[in-house]
Amino acid sequence: MRGFLTKIANMFFGSGKTNAAPAPVTPPVSAPAAAKTPEKPAIRKAAVIGAGVMGSGIAAQLANAGIDVVLLDKFPGAADKAIERMLKATPATDPMNAGLMHRDHARRISTGTTDDHMYKIADADWIVEVVPEILPIKHATFKAIDEHRKPGSIVSSNTSTIPLSQLAEGMSEGFKKDFLITHFFNPVRFMDLLEIVAGPETRPEVVETMKAVCDIDLGKKVVVAQDTPGFIANRIGTFLIQRAMAETIDKNLKIEAVDAALGVAVGFPKDGVFGLMDIVGLDLGPKVTQSLQKSLPESDAFQNLMRPVPTLDRLIAEGKTGRKSKTKEGFYRMVPDAEGKKTRQVIDLATGAYRNADKVNFESAKLGRKGLRAVMEHGDEGSQIAWNVLRDTLAYAAGLTEEMGGDIAAVDTAMRAGYNWKNGPFAMIDKMGTAWFAQKLADSGMSVPPILQAAKGRKLFTLDDKGNAAQMTLSGDYAPVTRPAGILDLADVKRTSQPVSANNSASLWDLGDGVLGVELHGMKNTLDPDSIGMLNESVDTVLESGGKYKALVICNADKNFAVGANLGLAARVMNMGQWDMMDDILGDGQQAMQRLKFAPFPVVGAVSGLALGGGCEILLHCDAIQAHAESYIGLVETGVGIVPGWGGCKEYLLRAQDAYGDKGPMFFVRKTFEAIMLPNLSTSTSAHTAKSNLFLRAEDGISMNRDRLLADAKAKALSMVDGYTPPQPRTLRLPGPEGKAALSMALDDFYAKGDATWHDIRVAEMLTTVLTGDDTDHMKPLSETDILRLERQAFLTLAKTAQTRARIQFTVNNGRPLREAPLVRPVTTAELRATLPAHTPKAREIVLTQKTDAPAPAASAAAMPDVKGMKPMEAVITILKKDGWLPAAPMQDAKLSAAFNDAAQKTKQGTLERMNKNKGMAGLLPSEKVREEILKGFEGSIAKAEGKIPATQDAEEKARLQASMAVMAHYRDVVRELKF
Amino acid sequence: MSKHAVIVDYIRTPFTKAFDPGNDSGKRGALAHIRPDDMVAELIAGLMERNAQVNPKDIETVLTGCAFPEAEQGFNVARIALMKAKLPDSVGGVTMNRFCGSSMHAIHDAAAHIAAGAGDVFLCTGVESMSRIPMGGWTPLPNPSLIARRPEAYVSMGLTAENVANKFKISRTAQDAFALASHRKAEAARLAGNFRHEIVPLFHAPHIRMDDNLRADSTVEMLAKLKPAFKAAGSVTAATSSPITDGASAVLVVSEDYAKAHGLKPMAKIIGFSGSGCAPEIMGMGPVEASRKALARAGITVRDLDVIELNEAFAAQALACIGQLQLDPAKVNRDGGAIALGHPLGASGARITGKAAQILQREEGRFALATMCIGGGQGVATVLERYVP
Repeated sequence: MRGFLTKIANMFFGSGKTNAAPAPVTPPVSAPAAAKTPEKPAIRKAAVIGAGVMGSGIAAQLANAGIDVVLLDKFPGAADKAIERMLKATPATDPMNAGLMHRDHARRISTGTTDDHMYKIADADWIVEVVPEILPIKHATFKAIDEHRKPGSIVSSNTSTIPLSQLAEGMSEGFKKDFLITHFFNPVRFMDLLEIVAGPETRPEVVETMKAVCDIDLGKKVVVAQDTPGFIANRIGTFLIQRAMAETIDKNLKIEAVDAALGVAVGFPKDGVFGLMDIVGLDLGPKVTQSLQKSLPESDAFQNLMRPVPTLDRLIAEGKTGRKSKTKEGFYRMVPDAEGKKTRQVIDLATGAYRNADKVNFESAKLGRKGLRAVMEHGDEGSQIAWNVLRDTLAYAAGLTEEMGGDIAAVDTAMRAGYNWKNGPFAMIDKMGTAWFAQKLADSGMSVPPILQAAKGRKLFTLDDKGNAAQMTLSGDYAPVTRPAGILDLADVKRTSQPVSANNSASLWDLGDGVLGVELHGMKNTLDPDSIGMLNESVDTVLESGGKYKALVICNADKNFAVGANLGLAARVMNMGQWDMMDDILGDGQQAMQRLKFAPFPVVGAVSGLALGGGCEILLHCDAIQAHAESYIGLVETGVGIVPGWGGCKEYLLRAQDAYGDKGPMFFVRKTFEAIMLPNLSTSTSAHTAKSNLFLRAEDGISMNRDRLLADAKAKALSMVDGYTPPQPRTLRLPGPEGKAALSMALDDFYAKGDATWHDIRVAEMLTTVLTGDDTDHMKPLSETDILRLERQAFLTLAKTAQTRARIQFTVNNGRPLREAPLVRPVTTAELRATLPAHTPKAREIVLTQKTDAPAPAASAAAMPDVKGMKPMEAVITILKKDGWLPAAPMQDAKLSAAFNDAAQKTKQGTLERMNKNKGMAGLLPSEKVREEILKGFEGSIAKAEGKIPATQDAEEKARLQASMAVMAHYRDVVRELKF
Repeated sequence: MSKHAVIVDYIRTPFTKAFDPGNDSGKRGALAHIRPDDMVAELIAGLMERNAQVNPKDIETVLTGCAFPEAEQGFNVARIALMKAKLPDSVGGVTMNRFCGSSMHAIHDAAAHIAAGAGDVFLCTGVESMSRIPMGGWTPLPNPSLIARRPEAYVSMGLTAENVANKFKISRTAQDAFALASHRKAEAARLAGNFRHEIVPLFHAPHIRMDDNLRADSTVEMLAKLKPAFKAAGSVTAATSSPITDGASAVLVVSEDYAKAHGLKPMAKIIGFSGSGCAPEIMGMGPVEASRKALARAGITVRDLDVIELNEAFAAQALACIGQLQLDPAKVNRDGGAIALGHPLGASGARITGKAAQILQREEGRFALATMCIGGGQGVATVLERYVP
């Protein structure tokens, strides 16, 4: 229990950053939804030659896939050092080196040198070459590989710059048949793209095997590229960088302005072009650039972009290669001022001196939501930069269509997966409109690429009459977009069918073959009563389907499975003091989880990304899990001052009892305590560590490829249907007050040392009460219901404390956990315990009825929007929006306010005074009268609008009225549901 | 006393840092792979080899001190170890638990038996594998009703040291200096070969021949940088506390008559011993009362002492005891103490008693005191007189 709670900081939402690549927008495709995963080809052992960052990353990913690896390097000890480096890294601290999904995977990698241990590759089925990009070295390596490898083994090169034709030159005929390029991106574990390039002599089986292995085992999006310089991603990606660089130099622009223009507004990573180079390392670019310059013909547009950049050369020479460099300097740097506050500085390309970076706010950059074309057409400086660079880059990409084999969907996939673009170049052109873009090119005096001429103003991507995805070809006809078999994309299901049922936070979909899918899609991947309601409904739907549905799969099509409960909502309920409502939310959740667990049909969780808090609790109650390898699962509730209240404590105790119960009545309780109280240490950093941490069972499945997760989960569910028997309710033997005393002793020491705050201790004390079974004795079995009741009591007790509410409110406002000063109050732990409910039945009753122990916390009050001087109903809207209850809809604001004001004038209560006095919801929501008035206001406005419609001639005005009716109806329903 | 008990021999294993699952650097746990009962068995065999004149059948009892006698050091570890050491079945085995004072209590028990005429030969051993069995044991279940009345009953050791430092005004600087001195003395003793005769390498770790807690390169500046280990704004650090350690020790105690009859060469005669209690929240002061009682029973005073072994649970409590008992610091822990050497709870009592006898011989002094504090609020003390045939 080292470090204890101090390390919890940054846990709550922090690990979201570890998921480097956002889930790509997969274009709709034509593969049948229920296609089977192809049979796995046999790569049992692989060899990686070269133990640099890429080589060791590839070795780690192979080990992650369960493949034995030999990692050899020219230099003695280099391979061992690489493994050591990877063992130290975590996805959060050092994603570049965090290639191993579990430390045990390092044992699958055996090491050696190319001089002494080449014999080790003799039984390898696949040998990957990752030596320096120098042709003679490559050739020597290939010769050595060819000498030692077994016949029929596959050899691939991870080159990013050397054409296959040159690599294969002079090699044996047998070698050429087994040889191809597999181009990984760095960091190998987190970057989804893999480019495969085959030569004219490469056996087709070799290509098929590699496609399957890299897709299914290594989890990559495999794109087959032609043997052209830079293949696909680097060719276009480098063009963009050089084009942006040229624009900056030619027009003497500020770097931060260019980055602001070429960021999220146009669908590029938020750091912009220069910011991203700082992250990946300035020294990497020139190598690829020079190689492209050398191998591309003089006529290629790329050649016109070369500008001498002495400042960049100097930065590299001085080792200032970006954030990973020793000085952490690059195009940008952070400089602390006298008070220690950090200022962002940026280099001036012309003078080479750092200066304070400007805060750039382009009007045009805010138009991203209105579409790419709106950004381009705005005309301010940002818009001009974005247009100049994008125009040339997209035209360049479009012009490469033929050279790249005509598969424009593959090009888009490569740019999304390899460079984290939100949309590929062709999808971007589609967004601007092919006709518009072609015209603009013509207007600028540029030639219109053949693919755009062929499109004749039609979209580049479309759906055929069966709803399958199709792409434009150079002939002007649409061709189907192909993708590997065995992928079930929820987007396909959504496009071709209606939901079985749906609400704001979750939907039910028929996944085919008798499997019902629950799609969680709550706000920012959170869970709320709607999500829980839909989980309940899903069980009912299967039960009442008369055998139509046989199994349930719970999934989320977005990046994360679920990041936990909607804290904004929780904060609101707590600040209002609605304890009955809070208890209902807990009870409903617990009931839904128990129903999932004991349902007479299999329930499978399909998890990817974050599954925290309530999300983790759902998984703990599933009969089986299919997890994407990049799953980050944990019970993080204590970070916001509560305990898991939807059965998380109970389920973890049961698992720990199974795993460690033979070590006496205390050990598994301690393990559970550590897992929940130290979420930063116990939250999994992959699906593999989730197994070690008991969040997954040993027999739960792991899908390396996110695209295959849903199909794999469905297959898992179907495999369980025959002869399925639901689990029986279990009992727990918990140590009671003795166990609590033991944990309290440990807590006392942490408190004395200053490692835990006063409130940490309160949270921990309430958690131990649950985990030790309160006043039980370890001779007495407790039921699952007993633990669930304790969870609710502990949750409510904590929710009633000002500190917990302050923590939640702070997290809602800032997206990170609040840490109180280490010693908030000079009290002893004994005094502190006296503030907590004692071990008596009577005391437990009090928990449910007791009042909050303090007024609304300062943090909460400060977080409330300033409603002083507003009309009451305006204030209501402002606060509801702040809390995330109402979607921000600026267009309707005036109308809504008017409706609210109407209602308000009729309210005789002195609401305004009371509200201003308290500045919080507790004082704001005094009566049903206010609600009635608000509802009346809405009804009136709706009726008014409805009345106007028949007389309205203008179609646009009619639509506007209908829209405003719908919005007001939505708000009315929200207000009606609110428990005041 | 009707018959006198004498200490004939003293050996121990190397004392090595315990494995820490939270700090898996590979630098800790050199002896973690060795079972504690096996350590004791090897020391029993070692004592028998070095003292071949002792007929194994003459051994009355093997006593093993152990603070958390469970798991690999459970099942009456003394009996298990003596069987592993191939002693005759006729030899008895008793596990003794007085926490840190366990193996010193074993020596007291042997002396008392000898005095009562209830046996002539006793192997007094002590062991603790703090790697394999954590402090508090695997299943700590304290009594809540006692806690309600006396919350200090289970107070953690570090906090007792803070309490002592507070109560007796032991400054951080004094503690740091004391800890540094312990390391310096231990290093000097190592260089002088003073441990060569007592440390027995283990069969499964033959390359480990010396303790590994010792930090000869420590400086005042380094120690001053450490943060308090137990209390925010406290004064006790990891460096001024005895480290969590694996190890075992053994002392051969026989009656004076038996030694004479079998040609053994005793190091010291046990002339007084005692145990006493004190307030648990300042358990470090246990040696004060215990030492006074034992000295009185031996009929001598502090001024008569030539050699003092005072177990260094914490620098704070050691300094406070030195002050209260008015001990001559120059005579205390001449070969270094537990802060430098380590403190495997059950093994330390036999170590410091054996060490006191050893130094008495080496320095040719007359009287020695070995004393130590005990968690939960106790002290034990033994007074020795150099044996002159």
